[in-house]
Amino acid sequence: MAGKTPTTYSPSPRLKSKPAKNDAYDSVRPDGRGFAQCRPAFMRTGAVNSASGSAYAEFGNTKVIVSVFGPRESKKAMMYSDLGRLNCNVSYTTFASPSRAQGSDHKEFSTMLHKALEGAIILETFPKTTVDVFALILESGGGDLPVVISCASLALADAGIMMYDLVVSASLSCLGPNLVIDPINEEESREDGNLMISCMPSRNEVTQLIITGEWSTPKINEAMRLCLDACTKLSTITRTCLKDAASSTQD
Amino acid sequence: MVGLSAGEKHFIQGGIAQDLRTDGRKRLDFRPISVETGIIPQASGSARVRIGATDVIASVKAELGKPNASQPDKGKVSVHIDCSATAEPAFEGRGGEELSAELSVSLQRCLLGGKSGSGAGINLSSLIIVEGKVCWDLYIDGLVVSSDGNLLDALGAAIKSALSNTGIPKVQVAVGASGDEQPEVDVSDEEFLQFDTSSVPIIVTLTKIGRHYIVDATADEESLMSSAVSISINRRGQICGLTKRGGAGLDPSVILDMISVAKHVSEQLMSKLDSEIAAAEAMEEDS
Repeated sequence: MAGKTPTTYSPSPRLKSKPAKNDAYDSVRPDGRGFAQCRPAFMRTGAVNSASGSAYAEFGNTKVIVSVFGPRESKKAMMYSDLGRLNCNVSYTTFASPSRAQGSDHKEFSTMLHKALEGAIILETFPKTTVDVFALILESGGGDLPVVISCASLALADAGIMMYDLVVSASLSCLGPNLVIDPINEEESREDGNLMISCMPSRNEVTQLIITGEWSTPKINEAMRLCLDACTKLSTITRTCLKDAASSTQD
Repeated sequence: MVGLSAGEKHFIQGGIAQDLRTDGRKRLDFRPISVETGIIPQASGSARVRIGATDVIASVKAELGKPNASQPDKGKVSVHIDCSATAEPAFEGRGGEELSAELSVSLQRCLLGGKSGSGAGINLSSLIIVEGKVCWDLYIDGLVVSSDGNLLDALGAAIKSALSNTGIPKVQVAVGASGDEQPEVDVSDEEFLQFDTSSVPIIVTLTKIGRHYIVDATADEESLMSSAVSISINRRGQICGLTKRGGAGLDPSVILDMISVAKHVSEQLMSKLDSEIAAAEAMEEDS
């Protein structure tokens, strides 16, 4: 891909918080990152020529490609609607994970992607029509859904679909006493809990929030703060990527 | 779908703004809850929960199975919710599928905790009989009989009641079977072990209408919602899962406020449900 150095979007950790010294939990992560350090993020628009808009994202080992088709006429069987329809589909390639098995939660991912995006798209601008968002996970390296969501909103913007703001997403794992942002597969498989947030940073609105595992309220507060901070930084990266794409076409 | 006129919508919204809803409740009041347990003789445990006009049935079946190779020390739990077309015409055919899947996923998230098993409502390690060989598969099935809003909370309560009604048969493992052989097990049909439900959470859904949020929304109220947050909370006041529904975005501070309100409401609901379950169990023993 292009020679630009990938940027990261790590949130700023709270100054007073000291890493808990505990022998059971290493203070270094398997890939050598700190707890509040995100993987390098790389995003590009225009990955697929035949689509109305598309984007490619690479966050560490997680690689996804999202294409947006439409708006095109809704299927005849659908009832008349003065709002546009959004159709989302997330799928994995057969070689996305080490074992050549079909993951089971694609359908769940599709509905979660739909929910994360629907609040951001101005559906009134394309009545009677449908916008299709197809996401393909080329390589699954952990934190797949947040990457898909961020990449999908970039693809929608590339397709010229009207949105209130770009949707960006970040996830965080709870491993023992530590909150670990942007977890990789290895960390996700032994996590105690997970929090995924997707938001529109300039409107300060959360479009989707999913929490699993057992959490105390202060922990949720801290986790949300870290994720929202990471989202804000990620949205600058996404914005720069869009601006770069726009200025290069003008030249 | 509920079809409401502009006037009716205005009436409901106005009532919520003034803390007096159309059925006379305040914003944070639940409808009356009634619980019946042991209604399905074929199941290991079952319960029927009614919240107002919402009526759901949950059944728990335990079957002997083989643990997953990746987790040899854990049993398996699967949650499946069926939205019957008898509850609402919109559920017919594939119509109910999406809602069923959404409810199943949310409930699974609430009951099973994180990937490492911490914070789980059901202790998967307690379902193991012989490590790596035999375990209990717990099938939790929910059925929506009649739908008048707040399905997730009702199903959560029904599953909690059904689990507390569940007796898992005592198992004798034949000694001597070693190595790769599948051990012989003898399932007792007289002795049952009571299932521990102390850490099973309850679910509280806060529905945001206008600038306020309400608990236990009826179908009419749900049709007006901008977004809803379902929070599951266990007896110790810890959050065990959270799902947001509805398209509109929420301010992060509003979400934190909703969590603290839900925590407060859950204490009352928990004690109400406990007493209802105890009463239902007593009724069953008498009859």
